[in-house]
Amino acid sequence: MKSQYKKWGALLLAITLLSALLISGCSTKGKGGGDVELKLGFYSSAQSDEKMQELIAKFQEKHPNIKIKTESSPYNQFFQKLDTQIAAESAPDVWLSDGVLVPKYAERGVLKDLTEWIQRDLKADDYYGLEFNKDAAGKYWGVPQGIQIAVLYYNKDMFDEAQIEYPTEAWNWDDLKAAAEKLTKDANGKYAIDPSFDKNKISQYGLTFFSITEGWMTVLKSYGGGVLNETLDQSIIDSPENKAALDWIVDGMQRELLPTPSDLKSFQSNMAPFPSKAAAMRIGIYARTIDANAAGLNYDVTLLPKGPEGKRFSPVIANSWVINKKAEGAVGEAAWEWVKFWATEDEVQKEWASLGEAVPVKKSVANSEQFLSGSPANKQAFLDSFEFAGTLDVNAVWSEWVGKFNDSINRAFEGEVSVEQAMKQADQEVQKVLDEFYKK
Amino acid sequence: MKLNRFRKGVGYAVIIFSSLIMILPFLTTLFNSLKTYAQYTAFPPKWFPSPIQWSNYSEVWKLGAFEQYTINSVIVTVLSVCGALISCSMVAFAFARLRFPFKNTLFMIVLGTMMIPPVVLIIPQFVIFKSLYMLDTLTPLWIIEWLAQPFGIFLMRQAFLMIPKDYEESAKLDGCNPFQIYWKIFLPMCKPTFATLAVFTFMTKWNEILSPAIFLTSKENFTLPIGILSMAGQWSGNEQYMVAAALMSLIPILLVFLFAEKYFVQGTNSSGIK
Repeated sequence: MKSQYKKWGALLLAITLLSALLISGCSTKGKGGGDVELKLGFYSSAQSDEKMQELIAKFQEKHPNIKIKTESSPYNQFFQKLDTQIAAESAPDVWLSDGVLVPKYAERGVLKDLTEWIQRDLKADDYYGLEFNKDAAGKYWGVPQGIQIAVLYYNKDMFDEAQIEYPTEAWNWDDLKAAAEKLTKDANGKYAIDPSFDKNKISQYGLTFFSITEGWMTVLKSYGGGVLNETLDQSIIDSPENKAALDWIVDGMQRELLPTPSDLKSFQSNMAPFPSKAAAMRIGIYARTIDANAAGLNYDVTLLPKGPEGKRFSPVIANSWVINKKAEGAVGEAAWEWVKFWATEDEVQKEWASLGEAVPVKKSVANSEQFLSGSPANKQAFLDSFEFAGTLDVNAVWSEWVGKFNDSINRAFEGEVSVEQAMKQADQEVQKVLDEFYKK
Repeated sequence: MKLNRFRKGVGYAVIIFSSLIMILPFLTTLFNSLKTYAQYTAFPPKWFPSPIQWSNYSEVWKLGAFEQYTINSVIVTVLSVCGALISCSMVAFAFARLRFPFKNTLFMIVLGTMMIPPVVLIIPQFVIFKSLYMLDTLTPLWIIEWLAQPFGIFLMRQAFLMIPKDYEESAKLDGCNPFQIYWKIFLPMCKPTFATLAVFTFMTKWNEILSPAIFLTSKENFTLPIGILSMAGQWSGNEQYMVAAALMSLIPILLVFLFAEKYFVQGTNSSGIK
C-alpha cells in the first residue's frame, strides 16, 4: 500500500515538472501593433534601482509607444553577463556602461556610432564630458549618464588637531607631502616629523592612496607623464616625468606617509581609510562623498595639487549610455530617445543627482543650488576640475594593461624592486598587452 | 584511570580550541552585521558593535524584495535537490550494476566533464536556454540538476558499489526487475549518501551566483545571492546591510544541516549479510 503511494507520488512529481517545463517553454513575448520594445540594461544598487524605475516610468508616460524591458544586475555580474549576451547576440538595445569599458565594446564593433545623433540633438556646450567618449578618430560612442571626477578630500578635524592649515588650490605635490608628514601618526600619537616616530605602527596616514584613479595615474599625469601615447596604442611609461612622479610616491610609501597596497589589506576595503578616519587626505572621485557623509566626517574638498611644472590633472570616469549596433530602425531610434531623455531633461538630471552618486552631465543642473548645496561645502571644486580633466588612458584593453601595470609597479611600492626596474617591467608588459590587440 | 582523564582533558581542550577558531569568523560576521557604517569601517577594527544597530536587519527588508528572492531560492533549491537525487541515483545505478557496451568509457567521459570549469560552459548553456525561451525564468537553474551532474553520479555510484552483490541476487531470485532492485533495495540502503548529496546540492544551489546572474534579468526572478549582491552599487558599499542579509540567508542551510545530521552520524549502511 505504502509503496503504491510512493509510486504515484513520483509520477505526479514527474508530470508537474514536465508541465512546468512546457509552460515556461511556451511563454513567448507578444508584440503589439506599432509598439517598440526596448531592452534597457543597467547595473544598480538597491537605492539607485528604485530611482531608475521612477525615471523609466516617467519615460513611458512621455513615450507610450515604447515599451521598456529592464535588465538589471549587480555591478560585477552585469558585465560578466553582458559579455555572455554579446557572445550569444542577445545584448540589450541600450545599456549603461562603466566609463572605462566603453572603448572595449566600441573597438570590438558592438556599439553604434553616435556621432551624428549627438551632433544633431545635443549642444556640446550644455554638457560636461561628452568628449570623454570620443575616440582618437573623433567618433562618439556614448553619452555620459553621470560623471566621476576626482578632487582632494581632507579631514578638517585631523588638520585642526595637528594645527596645520587646510589644503589650498595653490598646493603642489610637495606641499601635500609636507602636510602629510605632520598628519601621519603612529600608535603612540607621535607624528612623522618627530624623530621617535615609529613607522611600523601607523594609526593614521597623511594621504590614502589606491591603484589607478585615486592613486598613481593622477600623480603621473600632473607630473607630465602618463601611461599611453595619444593614440592609446603605445606605452610611454619609461619617461623621466613618470620616474619623478613614481619617486614621489615610493618615497611617501617608504616613510609610511601613504599606505602601500599591502597596508591597505588591514582595512575593510581599499576605500575605507578615509571614511574610517585613518587617513587625513585622499584623492577621491565624487562618489566618495557618499561614504564620507555616511561616516559623518567633518571634511571638505579642494582642487588636486599641481605637478612640478604647474600642470594639473583630474581623472574622470564617465559612466555612459551606449547603444547596441544591432539596434536598428525603430529600436535604435527608441534607444536614442532614452539617451536623450536622460541627458536633456532637467527633471531626470535632478532626480538622478539627488542620489549623490555622480556629477550631473547637464551643466545647468550641475551648477544649480540643488547640486552645490550640502556636504562637502566646496562642491564647486568638482566642477572647476573639469578644466583639467582627462580619462585614464582608456582603450580597448584597459582592464588588462591596468592589471599588468599594477602588478609591476606594486613591487616598487612594496620596496621589492627599484623604481627603474618596475618601470621597465611595466613598460614591457603593458606594450605586450597593447600589441596583442592593436598589432594586426 | 588518571591517565585516561588526562587524555580526555587534552582532547576536550583541543576540540574547544579548534571550535573557537572555527566559530570566530562567524562571530565576526555576526558582530559586523550589527554595526553602523562608521563602526564597520573603523580602524583599527573594533570587535563589538556599540550601540547595537538592530535596524540593519529591518533595513535589509526595505532595500530589496527579500521575500521574493527567498521564495525563488527555495523553488530552485528544492527542485534541484529532487532532480539531483532522482537523476544521479538512476544513472549511478546503471553505472554500478547494469551491463552495457562502453560502460567504463562512458563513465570516464562523465568524470571528465567534472574538469570543465563552469565559466566555460556558461555561454553554450546561455545559447541553449535562449533558444528554449527559458531565459529570465527559474527553469534553467534547476532543470540542469535533473540531467544528472557528474559529481552526484560519482558519489552515488561509489555508494552503490559498496552494497554486496548478494542483496541483488536474492532480490532477483524473488523476481525483482532492475528498477525494483534500484528502488526497493538500493535506495533505502544508501540514505546517508542521499543525505550527503542532498545537502551538497542544497548548498551549491542556495549559494550559486554565476548561473542566476547570467540567466536572470528581472528583479522579481532574482535568487537570494543575487538579491544580496544587488544591494551594493558601483560606488556605494552598503556592506553592513549585505553582511546582515548574508547571515539571514544562512538560516535555511543551518536547518538543513540539523535535519540531515542524523544520517551523517548513522554512517554507511549497517550491512545485514554475514
